[in-house]
Amino acid sequence: MLNPDSVKPIYVQIAEWLETEILQERFKADDKMYSQYQLADQFNINPATAAKGLTILADAGILYKKRGLGMFVTEQAADQIRHRRINETLTALVSEIVEEAAHLNVGEQELIHMIQQEGKRRKGAVR
Amino acid sequence: MNVIECRQAEKKYRGEHGILHADFTIRENTITGVIGRNGAGKTTLLKMLAGYLKPTGGEVKVFGERPFNSLKVSANSMYLDEFTVYSDSTPIGELFQHHRRFYPNWDQQLAVELLAYFSISQKAVRGSLSKGQRNTLHGIIGLAARCPLTIFDEPTTGMDASVRKDFYRALLKDYLTHPRTILISSHHLDEIEDLLEDIVLIDLGKIILHLPVEELKEFGMAISGPAAAVNNWIQHKTVIARKEEASGMVTVIVKNDFTAADKATAAGLRFSPVSASDMSIYLTNREKGGIDDVFNKRQYS
Repeated sequence: MLNPDSVKPIYVQIAEWLETEILQERFKADDKMYSQYQLADQFNINPATAAKGLTILADAGILYKKRGLGMFVTEQAADQIRHRRINETLTALVSEIVEEAAHLNVGEQELIHMIQQEGKRRKGAVR
Repeated sequence: MNVIECRQAEKKYRGEHGILHADFTIRENTITGVIGRNGAGKTTLLKMLAGYLKPTGGEVKVFGERPFNSLKVSANSMYLDEFTVYSDSTPIGELFQHHRRFYPNWDQQLAVELLAYFSISQKAVRGSLSKGQRNTLHGIIGLAARCPLTIFDEPTTGMDASVRKDFYRALLKDYLTHPRTILISSHHLDEIEDLLEDIVLIDLGKIILHLPVEELKEFGMAISGPAAAVNNWIQHKTVIARKEEASGMVTVIVKNDFTAADKATAAGLRFSPVSASDMSIYLTNREKGGIDDVFNKRQYS
């Protein structure tokens, strides 16, 4: 699940993986999050690196700390993650796609068609 | 709390550098990688910390004491390398019993189970083991002793890839349940970087960097493009390494201290991150450039 060759630091990858866990509702509001030691064991990384990933989410208001008990998921966590991913990640990806399409002289209609095809393919694969 | 404190620590051998002006501290219960090329001074530094070598200058403190001739340091630390001296004719099972008597935290069960996992017999004598197996044995002893300060000097020499992976996994697992201060030296940073919290980079006897591993990953950037454009952009920037590619293209490794606005002026240049292990190689390269330059000097005419 982690990509050691990725541009992204491991702790950022940890934070993103945890966000996805929350988005997929494996953790709901007020659920206890994995500890830095569980994450270190699972991903075979130093616990300080895992803690850094948790801290990013705590600073962003996605997790909150209960002294002596660990980190818990905040009420607004899932909404917040969804909004930020739309505004940052998805927007950046769209901009990349549009730029590449322009390089290749692929028109807007054709691009939209490609996106629709991909959507259909995925639906088919799910069935 | 700091387990290790060095102030201008120095070890000189007959005029040659061993370690010079080492100024650093190691916090309790961290795993630190000591990285450097062959002959950089890794072993000298580690042996000084373990009390095997007496510094020729400056101050070295481990658990608040000078490690050389210190019983406290000796009882609470362990230094292991491929040459660690054990009797070659004592069966391993007996060797474990000796350790059990000396090291209060010794975990006999862990030692026995790890030995069995790595398919080494307790009845075997060390002299009959291969180089890789011998280092595996030293690794097992280092883990099972659970010393508050454990120093592994090139622990995986001679081990095959899967044993190396298992050994480092065992080290992390045991550290998670029994936190302690661990130093590991290696010239293969890529193998251990995920395991580490901090890294000490040594070159020519000097500590050139001491920082969290994650920061080393963001320490530099590779910038590639046509020579003229690259040269123009890198003015007033800290260049760490430079590599001429085919057809007038250049890749330059630059310290990652420029702003986004700076980056925006670099039209036509490609920016890519530099891995921690590549960065450590660039930072300890004697001649800026690299192995290719040695060959470029003698062009085939």
